Amino acid sequence: MTRHTKTKASEASLEIRAGATIHEHNLRNGLRVLLAERHGDPVVKVILYYGVGSRSESDQEAGMSHFLEHMMFKGSSKYAKGEVDQLTTMLGGQNNAFTGNDHTAYWMRFASDRWETALEIEADRMTGLTLDPDEFNSERDVVLEELSMGEDDPWSVLAKRVEATLFGRHPYGRPIIGYRESLLAMEPADMHAFHKRFYNPGNATLVIGGDIDPKRAMKSVRKHFAKIEAQPKEQSEDAFKLPMPTPGTGETRLRLHWDDPGRRLIMAWPSEPVGTDADYDLDVINGLLSNGRGSRLIKRLVENEGLATSISTSNDARVQAGIFWLFAECAQGVPPEILEAAIDEELERLRVEMPTAAEVKRVHNMIGAQESASGESIGDVAEEIGSMAIDATWRLAFDGGAGHRKVTRKRVTQTAARLLTQERRVVAWSLPTEKEGI
Amino acid sequence: MASVRLKTGQVPTPELDQVVFDLSCGAKLLVSPRPGAPMTALQVHIRGGHSLDAPDLGGVAWMAGRMVDQGTKLHTADEIVDELEPLGGGINGDSTGLSGTIVSKHWKKLCMRATEMLTMPSYPKDRFELQRGRVLDRLSIERDDPRSQAMHGFRELIYGDHWLGRPHYGTLESMSRIERKHIAAYHKKNWVASRAVIGICGDVDPEAVKRLFNRALADWKAGRDLGTVEEDYPAMKRRVAAYQAKRQQVHLFLGHLGVKIQDPDYPALVVMDHILGTGPGFTNRISRRLRDKEGLAYSVNANIHSSAGNMRGVFSAYIGTSPEHTSAALTGFMEEMKRIQDEVVPTPELDVARNYLIGSFALGFERAGSRAGYLIRQYRFGLDSDHLKTLPGRFSAVSAKDVQRAAQRHLFPDDAVLSSGGPIAKKALLVAMGAKAKP
Repeated sequence: MTRHTKTKASEASLEIRAGATIHEHNLRNGLRVLLAERHGDPVVKVILYYGVGSRSESDQEAGMSHFLEHMMFKGSSKYAKGEVDQLTTMLGGQNNAFTGNDHTAYWMRFASDRWETALEIEADRMTGLTLDPDEFNSERDVVLEELSMGEDDPWSVLAKRVEATLFGRHPYGRPIIGYRESLLAMEPADMHAFHKRFYNPGNATLVIGGDIDPKRAMKSVRKHFAKIEAQPKEQSEDAFKLPMPTPGTGETRLRLHWDDPGRRLIMAWPSEPVGTDADYDLDVINGLLSNGRGSRLIKRLVENEGLATSISTSNDARVQAGIFWLFAECAQGVPPEILEAAIDEELERLRVEMPTAAEVKRVHNMIGAQESASGESIGDVAEEIGSMAIDATWRLAFDGGAGHRKVTRKRVTQTAARLLTQERRVVAWSLPTEKEGI
Repeated sequence: MASVRLKTGQVPTPELDQVVFDLSCGAKLLVSPRPGAPMTALQVHIRGGHSLDAPDLGGVAWMAGRMVDQGTKLHTADEIVDELEPLGGGINGDSTGLSGTIVSKHWKKLCMRATEMLTMPSYPKDRFELQRGRVLDRLSIERDDPRSQAMHGFRELIYGDHWLGRPHYGTLESMSRIERKHIAAYHKKNWVASRAVIGICGDVDPEAVKRLFNRALADWKAGRDLGTVEEDYPAMKRRVAAYQAKRQQVHLFLGHLGVKIQDPDYPALVVMDHILGTGPGFTNRISRRLRDKEGLAYSVNANIHSSAGNMRGVFSAYIGTSPEHTSAALTGFMEEMKRIQDEVVPTPELDVARNYLIGSFALGFERAGSRAGYLIRQYRFGLDSDHLKTLPGRFSAVSAKDVQRAAQRHLFPDDAVLSSGGPIAKKALLVAMGAKAKP
């Protein structure tokens, strides 16, 4: 039974993000609505974020969030299987979805005169998912093929091993897609319960970005979502919470083999949650190390010394913790230990020597420029605002580089010395099958 | 669900005004101003590309383009990087030219460095050796990658010895033979003004752009224009190739020679593609059958229009699936190709495809890079100046009979080639293919 609720028009303040005016509303049933109004292109993107991902799953539920994302296109009370795609396409729109560690999102993109259909669809599948058993079984085969695809990718295989080592039994240690065994054991009834637990207004953030009239947009949001019943808060909580494992007191090393000549290296360190000071510091460190050809690692190891064919780092900040990643492909003829030693030198330099003011300024400028580039597409703006809203706060998104400009040279060194140590890291190599490298 | 027809006039269309200039050096300049745009994008297309590579030196054109950002006679690679990267800028090249973007207010810097790369790259020897080493590493890894090998095999089966059948970045053998002098000579001879078209889109004044390029490219040699490129392809015929490797999935590419973009059936083929193998989600027949109904794959598609250009592209149907599903996947491809030839597409299905193509028209032009890319394509393919405005109308006019006629003219299921990569042998592939070839 649904209960009609009045909406609370709590439009707090208007802020500009990437040229879009942000209007925030909260419906009484808990649904948060963010409108990002920008009229440059006749386009609207609608994204509905749910605060559910692999982090929300028990061991038995491993892969459920992602599998459920697939099933959301397989029929709900008003839309038979395939009709969401049919309708979206008929209106000249596009749709898709993605699942992460902390959230799952569904997006639709339309010309600006017809986007409101997205709301009707999303409201319906929030409450009336069908989960037909035949469709469930058929889609499970598709997910298993997707899993096989990942198992044929050496980087994906290596990264999964690293995450498992870093996070142990914590859900961050499991692959988002789950395991063959967990997927095969799932039943529609389990998924129904999971959907009911997490797919409700209080656990969702709706973002509508683009060429919209905010008043009309909110009228339409209320029409479709206000009648959905609120869930008691505790039902939306993660069912399965483990404390983060304490990083070990020594380096962990892994080695895999793959039947090609590639020598692939991953180094990874446990890091801190999204929106923390350390998250900003690691963004700047990421820029110093591998953003652009002028960055330290690329300039030295790829461009000048030719020790690696590629190298990159990434600050993967999540809700409860994060990972700072380093990926490198060793050049042929270069012993892996030589590449590793050169990387270690650069990391040590980062831990003990403050970067120059010019280096930090370069990174600040590049972060600002990247924001401009991302801001070209209102779809990307809406996506970033939504993911920040569901994981932390949307005000962190497109802040004009303000958060990163607070990161000083000293903070960079301190954070590197605290988090990016040899003792805290996992080092994983994938080496040619016939070769024993290190 | 009721069938609805969208009218083209009801659909918002992107504005893409452009000003065309003939530069004094002989190059063409297309400028699309967009006041307030945060980023400005530049693309330069140089006719020729890897069609000009000698067969034993495949990859020269690609390396010549790839290396242009490694320094010019006026600036080192490091100086270029230090200048452009903090401004959100960068320039990349390949066998067909170069492209770059930058925060709009710095557009002149982007253009100036691009003009140096067009006219005076220095190709430093040490950088050349490093770059070639990296490419050789990549090629040696790719040699063991089943998907890449299946894709290369597919193109070879279709194009034979024609240069379109060769990878633009060459092979392990050809790349090993390339020296710095080859790419320097290639650039000098082939990166010439008469073969160049420059597209720029962003917060720029067209007259100011023209002045900059006229000044900076004043000494650029016009060179010799290219004549028509030879089109001599093997006859369409069933051919099979298999690259065997231990993996979970097998990658299957089935298809044959395709069409040019100027083909009068092109709009009908775009509509056909959306019905057969590219429509979003499960709105196309092949995804609906092989993924949604039979659960054979995560990744499956089929398409003839996207590879069409001034040369004939390919029709390609692709699936990545478990090896035990090979036969079912091939059956699905062949039967759906034949069904769209034998049966008139029902109106609701046709409407979905047409409506998508008309209604999604506004969605692809948000980024400056997409707009600059469109300017170049429009010029290269000789599309009318009002092409963007008229294309939705052309899609709308495609009838079910047009789709069937286009499918009958341009799909050849019985003469399709098949290339695979993964845990399946050629013999098993031939069995799967042969059994399905006869109706």
